[in-house]
Order: sequence, then structure tokens, then C-alpha cells
Amino acid sequence: MIWNFRPLAGCLACVCLCASAAADETPLTPEEMTGASRVDGLSIPMPGEFMAALNKLGKIDWSAKFRLPIGTSYTSRPQMALNLGGLIADGYIAIEAQDAPQVKNIGRDVITLATALGVGEEVKRRSSSIEAFAEKGEWDQLKEELEATQNEVKEAMAEAKDQDLVTLVTVGGWLRGVEVTSGQIAAHYTELGGKLLRQPGVIAFLDQHLERLSDKDKDDGSVRIVRKKLADIEKLLILPPDKAPTAAQVKELNQLTTETLKEITKKQK
Amino acid sequence: MKRLLLPLLCAFLASTTVHAATDGEVAARRTALDIAGAFTNDGFKLRDGHWSGSFEPGKSAIIQVNLYAGNQYWFTLGATGPAKKVAISIYDETGKPVKIDGEHSFQDTSVAAAGFSPDNSGVFFVKVAVVDGAAANFCLVYSYK
Repeated sequence: MIWNFRPLAGCLACVCLCASAAADETPLTPEEMTGASRVDGLSIPMPGEFMAALNKLGKIDWSAKFRLPIGTSYTSRPQMALNLGGLIADGYIAIEAQDAPQVKNIGRDVITLATALGVGEEVKRRSSSIEAFAEKGEWDQLKEELEATQNEVKEAMAEAKDQDLVTLVTVGGWLRGVEVTSGQIAAHYTELGGKLLRQPGVIAFLDQHLERLSDKDKDDGSVRIVRKKLADIEKLLILPPDKAPTAAQVKELNQLTTETLKEITKKQK
Repeated sequence: MKRLLLPLLCAFLASTTVHAATDGEVAARRTALDIAGAFTNDGFKLRDGHWSGSFEPGKSAIIQVNLYAGNQYWFTLGATGPAKKVAISIYDETGKPVKIDGEHSFQDTSVAAAGFSPDNSGVFFVKVAVVDGAAANFCLVYSYK
């Protein structure tokens, strides 16, 4: 909790006239908490945030977290969206690993899936800068570019009234993020690491949005698998604030997410 | 800072044609980004997402966020002119206010920021309010490291 904010204070001093915020110290009512806004663009953490927290636990060999290339020729749009989300999460992993060729390979797969979903232009517009940042090893800028690309893809989907796809991209990315982080924490278990996995608000948000999918999308094979597995994952991630999942629970979580991702990358019959 | 803010602003302004954001929302976001940009000098990453809306005295707005223990966060609020003084408050998942010391809070007319590092991962609530002034547009962004 003790940070060194002197440089920051200096920056702010240049722009501020006074520096005391009038924070409200009255607790929120249950109604206020229930009625709080929940928006994809701010309420769901980006993979980069999760990875920043995970990096503080110790040095991580991110290149060991790569997975074999997944297919990109699905016929079902919900399945494409789920895998697009997973691929974007793979992009964050490649950036953490500072592996330029891997970033480019994933970028190509992202373009293929995004194009099939009708939002390829948004990705193509950014692909040259993504490649340039990767070649120059400008990893922080690359992370920002990937985050912006992800948001543009979602905005384009929302604009095309494809809110279901936005939800599925978010779910796919979140699943891949949890798979990687739970794998890392399971292999080097500490209670502090386990606590990072506690995400009741995210689970509730994803549940609500999956529930709002159209009947047609809910009936898609890959979506059925995700909804079923999410119910099991939920049991492991909803814990009291001061309680960490046990090492066995983290392993179980890792197995569940790995199985789910394997299922959704299989071509549907 | 300019290097980061320019593409962000361009992206936002471009997206406004899609979402038909009001002039007030655009102005509020520009205000929030101006201040949030200062945190990037200290290694904070500005999240490419925002929450916009309108608020007025006595009618605050609340958003739920999900944060990770170990990370440090700064929430930055920008509002349009009619709001003469604004405030940010942060609450844990039980609704209890999170204590923000003076060093980690900032307020200047229509801009406010609050920084903290959560002890536990999970749900938090951020309340934005007009302390003095009239109804206005606001925009909330956050940075982390």
C-alpha cells in the first residue's frame, strides 16, 4: 500500500490547484450495489491487468504458456467468436513472452477469424502497427495496440447488432486467461497467488450476458459446452474475500478451463 | 504522454461517430484523459475503455469493477463545465468505503482522481458525484500497474 508517488505528484502539481478529493464515506446500500452499472469496457478486467498482477508473484516463463495453433476454419459464428477471444488472449501471452514471431503468427490467425466474422477491417487497420511494434520490441505500446484492437473489434460487432459475439469474445478471452494463470498458480501454489483467481463479479457478469444470448446462439454446441463448464468453474471462483482456493481447487480449475478450451477449438459436426 | 494520448483521443473521436457520443461526453473524456496521461509517466497503463454518462448534485453514478490484489490503480474522473466540483469514492464488495489518503487523491474543479492498491482481488464499486455545480456529463477511466 505504500507507493512512491513523488514523480507522479510532481506531474500532478503542474496541473492542479488543490489536491484533496471529497470522497463519500457513507457505505453503499445494497440497492446501490445491485443497481451499479456494469459495462464490458470497464467492469471486466483486461488480460493485461491479470498478467500484471501475476508477474508480481515471481518470474514467469510466458513462452511456456503458448499452445499449439488452433483451427481458424469454423462454420459456426459463436464458435469463431469464442476462439477469437482466446486468440487475442494468446496475443497478450506472446507479448509477455516478448516473442515477435509468435505475435505475428497469432495476428494472422486473429485476422482470419475476425474477417470470417465480418470485423477483419478493424484488425487489418492495426495489424501493421502491431507488427512494427513487435519488430522493434516496443512491448508496452504493443499491449496498448492489442487492447485497442480488441475494443475496436467489439465495437464493430456491437455496431452490427452482434452483441452475442461481443459476449462470446469476452468469454473466450477470459477462459484462456484463467487457463494460463491457474496453470501457473497450480504449478507454484501460494495462497496469495490463489487469491488472484477469485473473480465473483466477472463470473456473474459473464453468466448474465451468456443468459441473454439468442436462443439460436445458446443452442450452438460450443456455447452449450461453455455454459455447462462455467457453472462448474463458478463454484471454484466464488469465495469469501479473504479466502484463497486450495492448491487442489486451482488444479481443478485449470483442468476445467483446459477441457473447455479444447472442446471449443474442435470442429463441430 | 502526447504519444499515448493522441491515438487514444483519435480512436475515441472516431468511435464517437459510431456511438453518436454527445459533445459533452467527448469533452468529459478529453478532460479525464488529460489527467490520466500524467499517471503513464509513472509506469501506469491507461486502460483502453471508459464509462460515460451524466450526473447531477444528489444523483451520483456507480460502476462495478473487478480489480486484482497486488496491482495499483488510479481512477480518473473528468466532467463538463456545469460540474464545478466532482468527487470519486471507492468501496469494497460489501459497500464499505476504501480509505484513500491525501497523497493518492486529487481534485480540481471538474476533475478528480483516486488511487489505491487492493488487498484482495474481487469486486469494487466506484462512485462519481457532483459535489458542487449542476448536471453534467462525466467520463471515468482507470490506469493500473
